Amino acid sequence: MAKFWYLFFVPLFALLSVVEFYPIAESVYLSLVGTGGGLQPSNYVAMVNDSAFWNSVNISLLYSMTSTFIAVGLGLGLAFLLTENLRGRGVLEAFYVVPLAVAPIVVGTLWSPPEMWDDIQTFLHFILGQPYFNELSPAFFFPVMAYSEAWEWGPLIMLVALSVISSTPRAVYESAELYGASGLRKFRRVTLPIVMRSPVMRFVIVLRFMDAMRAFEIPQTWASWVSSTTAVGSPVDTLSLFLYKLMFIPTYNFPIGLISAVAVSLFLVSLAAAALMLGLVRTIGGR
Amino acid sequence: MGEGDGDAPGPAPGRRRRVSSRRALLYVVAVLAVLNSFWPLVVMALAGYGIDLAPLFSGKAVSYVAGVPFYSGGIFPSPYYYLFSIFVLGFPRMMLNSFVIASISIAIAMGVGVPVGYILARVDIRGRTLVAYLLLALRAASPFIVIVPLFVTYSSIGLYDTYPGVALAEEMLVLAVVVWMLKGFFEDIPREVYDAATVFCKSEWQVFTRVAMRLVLPGVVVTALFAFVLVWNEFLISETLTGAATKTVAVGVWSGIGETTGVVKSFGWDDLNAAGTLAFVPAVAVMLAIRRYLARGFSLGQAR
Repeated sequence: MAKFWYLFFVPLFALLSVVEFYPIAESVYLSLVGTGGGLQPSNYVAMVNDSAFWNSVNISLLYSMTSTFIAVGLGLGLAFLLTENLRGRGVLEAFYVVPLAVAPIVVGTLWSPPEMWDDIQTFLHFILGQPYFNELSPAFFFPVMAYSEAWEWGPLIMLVALSVISSTPRAVYESAELYGASGLRKFRRVTLPIVMRSPVMRFVIVLRFMDAMRAFEIPQTWASWVSSTTAVGSPVDTLSLFLYKLMFIPTYNFPIGLISAVAVSLFLVSLAAAALMLGLVRTIGGR
Repeated sequence: MGEGDGDAPGPAPGRRRRVSSRRALLYVVAVLAVLNSFWPLVVMALAGYGIDLAPLFSGKAVSYVAGVPFYSGGIFPSPYYYLFSIFVLGFPRMMLNSFVIASISIAIAMGVGVPVGYILARVDIRGRTLVAYLLLALRAASPFIVIVPLFVTYSSIGLYDTYPGVALAEEMLVLAVVVWMLKGFFEDIPREVYDAATVFCKSEWQVFTRVAMRLVLPGVVVTALFAFVLVWNEFLISETLTGAATKTVAVGVWSGIGETTGVVKSFGWDDLNAAGTLAFVPAVAVMLAIRRYLARGFSLGQAR
């Protein structure tokens, strides 16, 4: 075909060089510069020996797994409601997608202690006579953090599920109805397997997990509540928050080698996720 | 979506009662789900208006922060906090900053991305799949691998806290989304249209400029709006690369309104709510306007 189309890759690669290739190369280089100059893996050794790093690896993994799991559950639940021919389905759907539009930093604020929890605390205490619960214990705030993340992204799972459902031939569902399956049963036995096996849904779940692995805003708001904005190693330190603190808390002296080493390691791990996603895109492909 | 919903078989006579109570339950759950999605936003908007609903339960609002009961709020409706955010905390300036940064980065992404989207969708040249995959794979990169070098470089060449600097950095968020969404919109144009265009136009180039570009224009608008909200809501890149002069809305909501490190936030809460409301209202409005395309946007063009 006409070769001139290749010209349009020139600005693309120019842009990518500035905002991706050069910074990534620079990060790799910075991560390999040792304290005494010269290239050596000392930053990676420091990273592996850093307990705060492993703390945030654990927290990020736990956070991504819980929030992705809840988001999938929430999204499928909402999708089920919207496939039940309720009146006002369009209005319901509009309400359900609203969280997708809210900035994550606002989501963190929405679910922080004085926002709704004081209403709930007051209700439980004065109406039901319960003692106050401690909003700053990890057993409370960690699930809340994971739920806030899921609250925002569940609707995406819902939208994707609905698009998979609408692109499946109706005959599939009709034959299920013919066998007497209805409502929840039909959804669980027929719709759910179709939705969860579709490459698009798997792609979105992998993408969501990967994005949750670098969650920053919601843990950042909670860091302020649990008074852990001045040191790394706190129970809200996801990997992004860990790196952010290393960058901006003055006492750490901007350890750029260590930060780059962690960022490069994360990049290598995320390439594995990218490979998984690309495999799914090939399956979706042909369009 | 939405078509063919009316053909559910009617309930058998003996099951009617059970079925209708089941429907009622479904409606209850659906309304609870609406509350779940929307109530937190209502609480925020009200709190920004000086209204805390907890006193309805008790006469006083108690929160339990840092181990001690913490009396807050009450019902004192007042536009004060909204006005304060707008006129004193400089919210319009932050909105302008977000708007300028988003516009620059969307303009760049469109200029680069529209032809590339077309190539990925329509032009059969070698290496295009590779380019498409490369963009997706880069989307997987953690922002920090890019932010740290950019932060250092920007500081030394004077791009830190400038519109072009931040707008460029936002490309790592926007570019892949724009290209993959546009690819989808170009693919949505029926094959017959392209076939007819090939007959009438002198060259492939004209098919692109005369036919495809015009038909894809609504898709370009949707993509731009979507990218706009992405940049509007983005926090980490702008928090790192903006300072006082170019602080964006998302950053301003949090750090512009009284963040200090190491102290529990017990101040400026109503201002924060007012600012948060001002931040989410435009984003929600735009996203609702293009809600048919949200799945496509957030799934990088994979879901239709």
